[in-house]
Order: sequence, then C-alpha cells, then structure tokens
Amino acid sequence: MKGRFMRSLCGAAALSLVAAGAPLLAQNATGPTDADLMADASSPGDVLTYGMGPQAQRFSQLKQIDASNVSKLVPAFAASLGGEKQRGQESQPIVYDGTIYVTGSYSRLFAFDARTGEEKWEYDARLPDAIMPCCDVVNRGAAIYGDKILFATLDAHMVALNRHTGKVVWNKQIADYQAGYSATAAPMVVKGKVIYGNSGGEFGITGAVEARDVNTGELIWRRPTIEGNMGTLNGKDNGITGKTNASWPGDLWKTGGGATWLGGTYDPETNLLFFGTGNPAPWNSHLRPGDNLYTSSTLAIDPDTGVIKWHYQTTPHDGWDFDGVNEFIPFDATINGKPMKLGAKADRNGYFYVLDRTNGKLVSASKFVMQTTWANGINLKTGRPNYIDANRPGAPTTAKGTSVFASPSFLGGKNWMPMAYSQDTGLFYIPSNDWGMDIWNEPIAYKKGAAYLGAGFTIKPIADDHIGALRAMDPKTGKILWEYKNKAPLWGGVLTTAGNLVFTGTPEGYLKAFDARTGQELWKFQTGSGVVGSPVTWEQDGEQYVAVMSGWGGAVPLWGGEVAKTFKDINQGGALWVFKLPK
Amino acid sequence: MLSRRELLQGAAAMATGSFLSPPADAAPLAKVKDLGVLRVAVYKDNRPWSWEKKGELIGIDVDLAQLLAKKLGVRADIAQITADEGVEDDLRNAVWKGGLLGFMPADIMLHVPFDRAFMARVDRCAFVAPYYRESFQFAGKRDEIDCDAPPVQWTGRKLAAELDSIPDFYLIGLSGGALARDVTHYPTGAQAVTAMLDGKAAGVLASRAQIEAVLHDRAAADIDRRKMPLPAFASSGWDIGMAVKENSRTLGDAVETIMADAATSGELAALFAAHGVTYVKASAG
Repeated sequence: MKGRFMRSLCGAAALSLVAAGAPLLAQNATGPTDADLMADASSPGDVLTYGMGPQAQRFSQLKQIDASNVSKLVPAFAASLGGEKQRGQESQPIVYDGTIYVTGSYSRLFAFDARTGEEKWEYDARLPDAIMPCCDVVNRGAAIYGDKILFATLDAHMVALNRHTGKVVWNKQIADYQAGYSATAAPMVVKGKVIYGNSGGEFGITGAVEARDVNTGELIWRRPTIEGNMGTLNGKDNGITGKTNASWPGDLWKTGGGATWLGGTYDPETNLLFFGTGNPAPWNSHLRPGDNLYTSSTLAIDPDTGVIKWHYQTTPHDGWDFDGVNEFIPFDATINGKPMKLGAKADRNGYFYVLDRTNGKLVSASKFVMQTTWANGINLKTGRPNYIDANRPGAPTTAKGTSVFASPSFLGGKNWMPMAYSQDTGLFYIPSNDWGMDIWNEPIAYKKGAAYLGAGFTIKPIADDHIGALRAMDPKTGKILWEYKNKAPLWGGVLTTAGNLVFTGTPEGYLKAFDARTGQELWKFQTGSGVVGSPVTWEQDGEQYVAVMSGWGGAVPLWGGEVAKTFKDINQGGALWVFKLPK
Repeated sequence: MLSRRELLQGAAAMATGSFLSPPADAAPLAKVKDLGVLRVAVYKDNRPWSWEKKGELIGIDVDLAQLLAKKLGVRADIAQITADEGVEDDLRNAVWKGGLLGFMPADIMLHVPFDRAFMARVDRCAFVAPYYRESFQFAGKRDEIDCDAPPVQWTGRKLAAELDSIPDFYLIGLSGGALARDVTHYPTGAQAVTAMLDGKAAGVLASRAQIEAVLHDRAAADIDRRKMPLPAFASSGWDIGMAVKENSRTLGDAVETIMADAATSGELAALFAAHGVTYVKASAG
C-alpha cells in the first residue's frame, strides 16, 4: 500500500517537472540527510545506501516488476566504464536526483544520467603503482550525503566529491598503503559521520573501524579490532580493545590481522554498528595459541564513541583463512513464540548464524554449504564450533607433510558478495559456493627473496554439476527451502523485492531473476561479461528500474586449478546495465 | 611518478592479460643496448641489499645493478618493488607481466632464489647468475646471552626476529612455545638486528647479511655469533640469483658472463665488503 502511494507520488513529481521543461531535479537540492539515509529501505524513488538501507537487507517494497511479468524485462540502456581499466566490477549503484553513481575498478567513480545513461562526470583516483592489492582492483560502492558522494580508494584514501560536479571536497589518507593497507568497501554515513573499515591481507596489519566528520573528513574515533590496541575518541585515548594478551601470545597482537575489509551495517533501533573482522595473522595457527580476539568475529560498535558493545567470534583460532567479515543483517522474527530483535550472517566458514542483536548471543547456526570439514556443527550452549582437530592444517615444517582437505576452501562458503533478506517471505537469499581445498606445508617457498615456510593449496569443486549455489534460508528453522545451482562460482550480490523476486548475477554474464518462494528461474539477460556486482531497484517516472554492474574479476580468477575451467572463457568488461518493463 | 608512456604500457599489458613480448627480431640484449637503459627490479626496504638511507637508494643489489649496466655500456633504471605474498608473485609483477597498478616489467630482477625445485615452478622466467649463498644466523650480546647454548636456555631473554619469517616461526615454535613470550617482532631482519644493538633485545635471529651489514654500519662490538647449527632449524641456506623473462636468454647469458668475471676479478667480494658483508659464493655457482 505504502509502496503504491510513493510510486504515484514520484511519478507525479517527475511529470510536472518535465512539463515545465525544468531540469531533472526531482529532489531537494540540499541532498540526502541523515534521516533520508535511515529511511532508505522505505523510499523506493532512490537508492541512498550500500545495502538499500542501513540494515543492508537489500529488500525493495516495489512490485511493479513481479514474478508474473519479469520475463518481459528489457534493457533501458547500458553505460560503459570505458578505458583499458576493465577488471572486476563489484560495485552497487547509488541512485539519487536523476543520477546513478557507480564506482569502478581502479578506484573510479562515475555519475550517469539515470534516464539516458549519458555520463555526467567521472573521477579517476591517481594511484601509485606500488600498491599490492591482494584480490584485484575492485571497489564496492559509494556513500551519498548532502552535496557529497564519498568512496574509498585502493591506496587507502577516503575521497568526498561534490555530487554535482565530481570535484574533490576533501581527500584524507585513512591508512598507509606502503604498510600494506588498502580500501575497497563502500563507506556508510551514520549521524553525520562517514564510517568505514580497512583492508590489507597478510602483511602484518591490524584491523580497525574509523569514523570521520562527513563534512570535513576529520577523524572522530578509531577502534582497532585486535585486543591490546588503543582506541581513540576526539584525539584522546578511549580504552584498549579487549584485554592485552588474553588471547594472543607475546607481541603478535600488534600485527594480528582482523581487517574489516567489507565495511559494516547499522541498526538505528539498537544504535549499533556491525562490522565483521578478517582472519588472524600469521596464517599458521599453531604459532598463536588462543582465540585471537577479535579476529573472524562480528563486532557491535557504538557509532557515537567507537566502543565495542558486544562481539561474537565465528571462527576462534582460525586456521583456514575464514574471514569473519561478512555482513550482519538486522531483522526481526518470532522464535519459539517470542518476538526477537535478531541479526544474521552467512560466514566464510559455511555456517549461517542468527544472533540476538541486542547482546550478541547465539540463537542458531546452520550449515548453508554442502560440506564443512573443519567443524561438526556449532555448540549452541557455548557458541563455539565443534572442531574436527584432525582437519586443521599442520604446523609448518621442512617436511612436505600430509595434505589436509578443507571445505569450504579459503575463498569461503560465501565470500564478499552480500545476501538479501525479504520481509515478505522471511527468507535470506545466500550467494554461496561449494568448494574445498587441499592444503599442505610447502617447504620450498620464498618470500621477499628469502627462504620461507609457506602453505601450498589447490582449490577444487566438490560437486559435479556446480560450484555456485543461490540458497533460500529460513532463519527460523535453519532449513534451505530452495537452491539454484550455477556452474561457475557465484561472486555477485543479491536483491529481493516485494514482487516475489530474487535477482543475482553470474560469472557467465547473466543477470537472473528467480521466484522468491520457489527458486524457479524466471528471466535472464546476457550482459556481455561476468556479473560480480550487486543489483538494485528503484522507481523513476512511475516505472520500476533494475540496475547492475557487469565486469568479470575479483579474487576468483586469481586462482587456477580445476575451478578455473568454469570461467576461463569469460571476457573482461565494465558496464552499467539498466532494465525496465516495456511500455 | 609514472610517465604517461609507462602508464600506457602497463595498461596494455593488463588489457591483454599478459605482457606484450617485444617483437622476435628485437633480441632482449640488443634492445637494452639500443635503448641504452637496463631496467633492474630490486626489493623495496630490503637492507642491506636495496634500501633507502636518507632518501637515497643504496645497497649491495643496487651496486650490482650499476655494475651490470656499466659493463653492458648502458644506464641503470633501478625500480623498487614492494614484496607480495611470495616470490612467484614478485616475478609476475616485476619480470614477466607487470603490476596490476601499472608497474612496468623490468629487464632483470635481482635477489631471487636460485633453487631448482622453485625455478621449475616458474616457467615464465629464466634464472641466471647465482651470486650469493644466504643463511640465517643467531647473534647476541656477549654479556647478556650465550649464543652457543641450547636455545631453550634463552628463556627470559628478549629475542628479536622479523615478523612472519623462518626465524620467527623457529623461535616462537621452539620446544612447544618455550620462547614465544620473549620474541619481539620487527618488520625486517635489519630492524631486528638494530633493535638488539639499541638494547631492546639480547639476541637476534636474522640473515647473515643482515647481521653483518648492521654490525658493520654501527661499528658494534661485543656481539657474538652462534657457531654451531641451531637444532631442528628449517633452513640450511639458499642461493640468490637473478631472473629475466623466459625469452630473454641473450640478456641472461651476458649477465652470467659479467658476474663470472666480477667473481674471478675480486670485484664482487669488494662490492660486498663495502657493505660489511662477506661474499659467499653460491653453492650452485
């Protein structure tokens, strides 16, 4: 009902402006406010936040396009990102005021006319050639606020641009790329602060979440994710994270990893930010006995002070590279007759966790992939995994040693690509992958010209017919209601709508639509390159639009072996595709 | 700062997904001589081999790059590369493909392992001119630690090591973690040695070149070095050589000749000695 009212209102506003010959400024020239951002999930005329709402449910109330007519969906236009820089396009578009903003590979930001696809402006970050990005040169999206559009660059800068002109308003270094830091996630804006995490893989870094004044770029607070490190608030010490040496030996907490490379979500109801943290360093778990807090965890953080309110660790003492960075999506449901404020996360380690988001207590944990060799379920009393010790990769030695088979592989049951939650069906739609890896000690390894004890691995499929699987998970029962299998690994985000639809892309180049209740494939369109971005939908001039980025890349093509057979013929690309129903 | 030409070349390499090899008629050695430039890749922040002292790039590998260029009658263009997760990645970035962000491949890269099993895994490169035998060593302050004692007896003394290195794994993992609490980590081996000289540790486990060079630069006295091998230590040492693109064997052959002559003439030993490091012939050479 609400959706229809909004739709007709938007349509009327746009029509009157067109009639008057006015420029296409349907919305307030001052731009999105804090309140607008918080209400993004219920304003179908725009897409203001990464995740289509601060909770990042990626659910739209729109239903003009539905399961009965989606088969008629056609392109309205496409827009190329041009140049030679066509690598993985993992971005989610932002749509506001007649403009579609997308970020592209190599830290570029584009503004396209939302009605014609014509480019309004483009910003290319000038990147030093010494950056060593671990996993392609991707960027996952921008944040909008007032007259600004903001994004993070590979050399670990946060850049605020004027959204009308693309001119730099402020540009701040948020970490030192020469020390191994990078940035690829979409930032978020909460209460006038731009809030973001950091990236950097195995280079002796520590994770952190930071908040800056969105208008000036000045640092307000900083919260390291590894115990023992000091947080700050307004330039003053604000308490250390955790308790020094409680779960780390010696001085390893100073370089403990735990990067927050996927950004976060926010729940206005509990006033909590949720950030996931990466795996601990060094990779060899035998050298760092203990839980290694707060790596491979979800942290609930006070957005006003940067203080950690609770944590839940999905993989204590990780030994498989199971980052815990995945998005934690707040939702409400009735469990055993009791209405609860919950949140859910589909982890790299293959388990789907439902937590009480007010305190971080585990409610349920269910396997969402074919196989988890590292643990046999999660203990609901302790909240810890039932480890299978024999399947932990061994300590490094000079002997080649025995190979351990681990599933999921280190690329995870689910990697960066965000899932969606439908308020209509009450289901989560998880873009997952079924694959494992052989991992062994590699005595003949070299790092920076010196002998080193590394690990060798090969990733391999574990099923004949697929690696990728889009799965509909019932968070109340932990049951998978349907699945769509895909030959190549899935690497793109998911969108669900009140039109009983689920959209996601495939490396084979298709954007696909499924029936949200049955999983039946209803529509597909070949975009010309692999789809690893996150689709969005909005309403404009009375019509519902769907948009997605096309452009194959990301971490998957970097790893060969048997898995590569599923994507070796996929070509590079870089384009925004926009769809609607024919009139 | 990158020149526009470098950017375009890097971009072309990326667009095709592989480095565009020079035409077959442009033999790599002739090309270097025609252009008058030998582009040499060295590791960034790798004291005593290649590192910046007060903004100036110096070190044994830097001197070697100059030596090669001089003997070839060309100018050296020395490019520093940031180490990636493994040397195979470094060879891709620096030699046969180029960096994802536009780093232009070099004609030759120094300080790569010369190890048959390793070389067999990298068929895009030809490995030439092994020029040094490297190994790890333990050094300590004479009045604070007995270097030749069984390592467990070092419990309670501060020990320094490069983070995530074989010395780190060894000290932390020894005797079920008996020394783990005593180990302080540093970004490089040279910084670990420096930390010991600064009084922050009683002993250090680092490469022989790192120890010798820092002791030399600081004119340090009263430092002992362990004479006997460390029990159950993972590395008996390794050879260091150079890498060129697989199709650059003419250049590789010329470099091998230059290096062999420099070893015979004593030039190599003198070059190492200038940095305080004793020249040790590679075992493969």
